[in-house]
Amino acid sequence: MKSRTVALVLMLPALLLLAAVFVYPLLRYGWLSLHASSVLTGLVPVPNGGANWGRLLDDARFWTDAGQTLRFALCSVALELVGGLALALLLHRPLRGRGPLRALTLLPWALPTTVMALGWRWILNDPHGPLNAAIRSLGGSSYGFLSTPATTWFFVVLADVWKTMPFVALLLLAGLQTIPLDLEEALRLEGASRLQILRRLTLPLLVPYISLAVLFRLAQALGVFDLIQVLTGGGPAGSTESLALYAYLNAMRFLDFGYASTVMLATFLLLLVSLGGGWLLLRRHGLARTTERAA
Amino acid sequence: MSTSSAAGLELRQLCRKVGDRRLLDGLDLQVAPGECVALLGPSGCGKSTTLRLVAGLDPASGGQVLLDGVDLTGRSPGERQVAMVFQSYALYPHLSVEGNLDLGLKVRGLPPRERQQRIDATLELLQLGELRQRRPAQLSGGQRQRVALARALLRHPRIVLLDEPMSNLDAQLREDLRPELRRLLCGREQPVIYVTHDQQEAVGMADRIALLEAGRLQQVGSPRELYTNPANRFVASFLGRPAINLLAVEPGRQLGLRPEHIHLGGDGTVAARLLRREWWGHQQLLWLQTHWGAVRVLTGPEAPPPPEPRLSWQRQHELWFDPDSGARLPP
Amino acid sequence: MAARPPFSSLRRQPAVVGLLAVLLLVLLSASGQKALQAVAAEPVPIRVLMPAPLADAVAGPVARFNASGSGVAVEVIRGPLDTETISDLAISSLLLGEAPFDLLLVDVSWLPKYVAAGWFLPLERWFGPEVLAAMEPGARLGNSLGNHLWRLPLTGDTGLLYWRTDLMPRPPRDTSELVAISRDLQRRGRVRWGYLWQGRQYEGLSCVMVEVLQGFGARWWDAATARTQLDSPQAVAAAAWLDGLLRDGVSPRAVANYAENDALQSFAAGEAAFLRNWPYAWREIEKGEGPVQGKVGVTAMVGAPGEQGGGTLGTWGLSLIKGSPHPEEAVAVIRWLTGPVVQRQLALEQGYAPTWSALYDDQDLQSGAPLLAVQRQALQHPQLRPPTPAYAQLSDLLARQVNGMLTGQGGAEQTMATAQRQSLQVLRSLAGPSGSGPAGP
Repeated sequence: MKSRTVALVLMLPALLLLAAVFVYPLLRYGWLSLHASSVLTGLVPVPNGGANWGRLLDDARFWTDAGQTLRFALCSVALELVGGLALALLLHRPLRGRGPLRALTLLPWALPTTVMALGWRWILNDPHGPLNAAIRSLGGSSYGFLSTPATTWFFVVLADVWKTMPFVALLLLAGLQTIPLDLEEALRLEGASRLQILRRLTLPLLVPYISLAVLFRLAQALGVFDLIQVLTGGGPAGSTESLALYAYLNAMRFLDFGYASTVMLATFLLLLVSLGGGWLLLRRHGLARTTERAA
Repeated sequence: MSTSSAAGLELRQLCRKVGDRRLLDGLDLQVAPGECVALLGPSGCGKSTTLRLVAGLDPASGGQVLLDGVDLTGRSPGERQVAMVFQSYALYPHLSVEGNLDLGLKVRGLPPRERQQRIDATLELLQLGELRQRRPAQLSGGQRQRVALARALLRHPRIVLLDEPMSNLDAQLREDLRPELRRLLCGREQPVIYVTHDQQEAVGMADRIALLEAGRLQQVGSPRELYTNPANRFVASFLGRPAINLLAVEPGRQLGLRPEHIHLGGDGTVAARLLRREWWGHQQLLWLQTHWGAVRVLTGPEAPPPPEPRLSWQRQHELWFDPDSGARLPP
Repeated sequence: MAARPPFSSLRRQPAVVGLLAVLLLVLLSASGQKALQAVAAEPVPIRVLMPAPLADAVAGPVARFNASGSGVAVEVIRGPLDTETISDLAISSLLLGEAPFDLLLVDVSWLPKYVAAGWFLPLERWFGPEVLAAMEPGARLGNSLGNHLWRLPLTGDTGLLYWRTDLMPRPPRDTSELVAISRDLQRRGRVRWGYLWQGRQYEGLSCVMVEVLQGFGARWWDAATARTQLDSPQAVAAAAWLDGLLRDGVSPRAVANYAENDALQSFAAGEAAFLRNWPYAWREIEKGEGPVQGKVGVTAMVGAPGEQGGGTLGTWGLSLIKGSPHPEEAVAVIRWLTGPVVQRQLALEQGYAPTWSALYDDQDLQSGAPLLAVQRQALQHPQLRPPTPAYAQLSDLLARQVNGMLTGQGGAEQTMATAQRQSLQVLRSLAGPSGSGPAGP
């Protein structure tokens, strides 16, 4: 009992900080979302009886963006997980120069997103980017990679995967390093192949780390903003616009704070639902794996 | 290489080098079917290395591993049908006791019914039936060790390797488990190699002891042989507690005398003075000052040392060594 | 990487806005302390937020002004390069109630929104009608709203048409000629592309749309009804023309992702016959050592045959922040910064179009700023973007729709119909359930 009190007291500053930076804005958004507060009201909040929420339900752009955001998050997190796992397994093997190699692979993650996005925008530039230069030197003709929704979407995902895969890899590498080597050796003695070891031993033991990576990255990817803002501006034709971008536009460009708060809050609720769903899925899957026995 | 092959396990000139370091340097060793050989030595002597070479977990830099005359050296661990009990037990933390036993069988592709039969039989043999649903984290140290043992025995291995299997247990449990371990492991058809740094355990478990130092085999033989007829000074001083007295008796020759072989009495040839007594209950250890230096003597627990002790011993107990190389010299 | 701003739109996350607020508070308290010190040290500090290129351009005159002992110390804050980014920065600080600057250099497209938000003080107390009357027609637009003067223009930039003097004897007179010349040159292999412009989903595309709509006799905004007219037959024809440029290969498909500098880079590399851009592009081409240096002419934006073309107005002007502690001194700075001395220097050194008519008759200036005649011509038929507080929404959705058309997601008619429908929705939703009008100044 006593140690619990102590723990509570020790956690108090952190909880207060959390309340200040998290709970207060949420309450504020909730309050604002029930008001009209735009240039037309001179930015003075005027109660409008839930009209913002009605507008949200009717706002095709919000729901399109929600779908786009979700699709982006799921695809990039899935790819990051697979790629990050491969990278982690590679870096986990005893290689010469492993230290510098690990540092090197982390580089994309250390790069500020805006800088990274500018780099990609340059690489994909039509016709002056290096990618198109390479295509031309091979006898092809330039292609507007960021001019069609499908290729743009692909490269947005690719850029995100490229940037955050090292983070996932690092997290999983930390997990791999907690697995004692003799567990793998014990299984090798049973004649297990690499694939069997991965499936039967490594992956189940990585479940907590994978869950962490997935939840963390999912939360980040659902709030994606700067990458898309810089790389595509939400284009072409809004096909890569994310919810965060839409909320930002409503607040900073349109000065429609009532509706922006509504969008932000709705985004947050969507995030909670997605994370909760992801967590439940992982937990069920993880438990199923770890309690697996002779069938 | 010669192909004359005995039944059982045979190591021929087995070597392991990593960079410039020789972890194991030309080990020759034979383990008969059903025999238990303890690899004994200080840490870093190459005993665990030997085990890993036999299991195939590390590649040999030279030499051969033969089982019943068949060369296993190039084979993968899975093909060798080796069972190994790790010092850490290496239990899969995400699986229950039953799952731990089952995983290896599953990997080998055994049909479910046979798997279940084997698991049930082994759990019974080791009296683990009630624990079958527990996870390793929910087991005591002794229970974990038994599960590790069960996992090793389950698959009817052709060689059994044990890497310090009891070093994580407390002393009492270690002594209690020794007979059981022998009952389960030894005297069957497989050769058993038992790695330990504890000579008591080696003596208690093994039919023969192979003593290693710095990657080289020093001597192999029954505990009695190693004790009474050590090949060199290292063997003499590694085995036996309290350790053998090494006395610079004459130039160019060093005399080894075990504390239990020295007698105290008025008629001895070497004068001594008592420094201190350690009373052990069943025995007592006396520290005596002589003109050769300090000497340890083991006597009965009750006899008080004479006021002016003089040391004597039988010639047959004298062990002579080269003071520089440590090699055994004739009497 | 390209030389200048195409990739400069670095922006913050909404989540960071809170952090930004804290930072600004810190900045504010620091500047507050500074202000106290300044009071003690005599000259009144007046802070002006400007985009970096303009801030650099006025650095010389500002230094001379400060040395002149007028009792005012002008401090220019260099903002980001990108127009939308600097607007975001200004808005983040204005939202906090007390901005760390007295004057803001305002793009013509921001003004209605900022005025509706109530962030500016009207200026007619200090500047009578005769002041604007002395400016070119285009420069007079976009400064007044609801009988108040909110901004005094510093530059008179409009969208211009760049053409290659080495490929044709004279610039095209209308859009048909522009296309015909392009296709002829392309067919003869003289040039890869005909016409380059800004088709990316951003404000620049809206500027292009303003010009094309005007050139086809359409109107985006009807001031009388305060409604958009994007689905008129003329508007659809305008959109169809843009779409056709891509479809017929006069413009590359990549235009759908071009901002100003992407287009400029391609044109400067000699890949096209025509370019739509702002006046700054001329100097960029002339000072670079590119293949078209010295081979570029500039003309006012053309319209369809029989229609009057016109360039989008992209003027900058100074507005006074409500709550400035020194409005009198700030107005003195407006007066001086927008005065002929500074404008003259901006025209000579940076190629910005002056707003004062008198400067266009100046012989020295005419010889030192070769675009002056064209710029004056363009200011006779300038096109204002819809002067409504909802402009940001309207522009955003139009750019989005048109960019969709350019990337093959719908024809002109459908695109413009959707844009019109969405525009009306926005205007309705902004009007609110009670139909309350704008909180006018």
